[in-house]
Amino acid sequence: MLKSLVLVAITTVALLTLDQFFALRHVTLVYLVPVVIAATKLGIIPAVIAAVAGGGASAFFFYPPIYSFLVEDPQHLIELPLFVFVAIVTGHLATSLRRQADLARRRETEVHDLYAFSRRLAAAHTPNDIYTAIREHLASIIGRRTILFETAPPGVPGAALSDEGQVPDAVKRAMEALAEAGKGSGNSSVVEDGEGRVWLVRPVSGKAGDFGVLAIDLGQQKGKMAGVIRERVDAVLADATAMLEHLDLGRALSDARVRSETEALRDALIGSVSHQLRTPLVSILGAATVISSAPGNRGDPRLASLADILRDEVDRLNNDVQDLLDAALISSKGVRLDCEWVEPADVVNAAVDRRQRLLAGHHLRVDIPDELPFVYVDPVLLGQALGQIVDNAAKYSPPGSQITIGAKTESDAVVLSVGDEGIGLVGEEQTRLWERFFRGQRGASSVSGSGLGLWIAKAFVIANGGQIEAFSEGADRGTLVSIRLPAREPATPDLAVSGDG
Amino acid sequence: MDNATILIIDDELHIRQFLRAAFEFEGFAVQEAHNAEEGIRSATLKPPDLIILDLGLPDRDGSSILERLRSWSNVPIIVLTVRAREREKVRLLELGADDYVVKPFGIGELIARARAALRPRVAAASDPVVRIGPLEINLATRSGTIDGKRLVLGPKEYLVLQILAQHAGKVVTRQQIMKQVWGASHLDDTHYLRIVVRNLRKKIEIDPTRPRILLTELGVGYRLAR
Repeated sequence: MLKSLVLVAITTVALLTLDQFFALRHVTLVYLVPVVIAATKLGIIPAVIAAVAGGGASAFFFYPPIYSFLVEDPQHLIELPLFVFVAIVTGHLATSLRRQADLARRRETEVHDLYAFSRRLAAAHTPNDIYTAIREHLASIIGRRTILFETAPPGVPGAALSDEGQVPDAVKRAMEALAEAGKGSGNSSVVEDGEGRVWLVRPVSGKAGDFGVLAIDLGQQKGKMAGVIRERVDAVLADATAMLEHLDLGRALSDARVRSETEALRDALIGSVSHQLRTPLVSILGAATVISSAPGNRGDPRLASLADILRDEVDRLNNDVQDLLDAALISSKGVRLDCEWVEPADVVNAAVDRRQRLLAGHHLRVDIPDELPFVYVDPVLLGQALGQIVDNAAKYSPPGSQITIGAKTESDAVVLSVGDEGIGLVGEEQTRLWERFFRGQRGASSVSGSGLGLWIAKAFVIANGGQIEAFSEGADRGTLVSIRLPAREPATPDLAVSGDG
Repeated sequence: MDNATILIIDDELHIRQFLRAAFEFEGFAVQEAHNAEEGIRSATLKPPDLIILDLGLPDRDGSSILERLRSWSNVPIIVLTVRAREREKVRLLELGADDYVVKPFGIGELIARARAALRPRVAAASDPVVRIGPLEINLATRSGTIDGKRLVLGPKEYLVLQILAQHAGKVVTRQQIMKQVWGASHLDDTHYLRIVVRNLRKKIEIDPTRPRILLTELGVGYRLAR
């Protein structure tokens, strides 16, 4: 009310000031300005007040006799009520426009929240993720602290899914009682926690059963105010529950449970298999190298070469175990990356150094320019991918031939390549090379292998955002495998690497 | 140094056996423990000069043993781990392990790591020079030479080289270097370090793309060869 009158007063002062310089006519129309402002900012009642006050002000200040509410001119007598009428209608229109705009904006936020919520549900891996998503969604739309209790299967105590320490005991008891009362009881209750705060406790249930029990902190409000909030909560929850139904939450929950159990089982199995297979290898290699380097045996080249044989075989078996583990990892979980800025030469060197003995029979040429851009990749996985390709080059090319490992920049990519002078690729090998368990017929009898190596290499390269391809001019014409990685340079202030700052 | 005592904590009898033989051949005294509890007890009762700790112990998680040992002891610890767990390696080094060896390993590798770990951590005041092949770093005068020629190093380059030289033969994680050279607020800007390493290699390596002195431990950090 006061604000409307202030608006009218400001308009009046402005008009009176202008009136000093110009003889103003139709001043009443100007009073539409405060009416529209009041309507859009304050609502319809202030707008009506502004309309009436505006009419009054025109009569008082501008229509003769001035400084009196009396109006002499019959034309003005018609004009004034007409102005008030038009002003009120305009005010009404402006208010409803504003309300519609507000509503649209709120809808948009709600839809946005809802999308975010369903995205979170879809990405949820464990029941806990889902419950957290529900709780946070409700808390954000109700605007109050919300705590969700999981409804446990019979015989298992339910668990609170958020900072339980802050839940008063009385509320906790009420939630547990409600959870135990069982499916579809549907009753909500109001609990006081002894510190003057009121909590609404109610189940969240759907056709498939209860999703959980919800406690909402209503604060200090009592009586009528609490009732209003409670109605609002019920309305929101009714919406939310319908949506939860729609999203088939029950099934999502059980799926997530099964998923996490399966993953735990698979992890345990992979871990145990790798442990079982590797442990004897550790002892074999360790004991063999101890024997060959023991005092008395030291310097005996025959023993040293026997130890080397053991070392090669152990490395090979160990790599096979690693291949199996990698393959299991790729097909079950996908590849998890641990990316960082990497010096391409480091990856090449790691792959080559680990295979020094395998490559001992070949002429190895490593050709890396000094100033390659860094690449943003998981260095270990990329090293394993490159290693697989080097393994293949060594296995499928004759002793004494050359293996060339190169690196170069090509437009916006860094390309690592491994070229050999081996058996090359023919026919279906060209296309099926990257398939899981595919092995070329020509080498299969003389060269050992699982058929996993290149498949793993490809999976790792693709996971790192790269591409891999093989090129050969035909049988016994050698093979060139290229790994293409996107090159971006990290931002580096000069001072960071040179200065003493 | 060769009278040093090595404590082997490993649940596998065969591994303990060949480790004992190897270290005894090299003139070390050996203590054994077949689980974490026994290992911690043994380390308390008769403090060893070096601990070799297998991470696959059944009774306790490797990192919790490390934490417990490090709560009262500075003894060098080498962990035995498996491949393809770089993140875990970094974590263990940051928890206080001195180095790691990937299983399966040849004994020569482990003994070399053990000797590096047993070297005094602080250079003796009488000999502040660290020598790695053709490279000499004088920690007292903060200078270095390669093949007898003076090295011209930027401040950051010297700092990085100094940290690596102080741990010569041992792996140093990127985060450890980042923290000391650039400070805790730049821990994620590891490409700074890569640029400095690239520049250093140009100055000290014969072929900077095939380094023989300043080595990369992929996904973990750097090591100055010994």
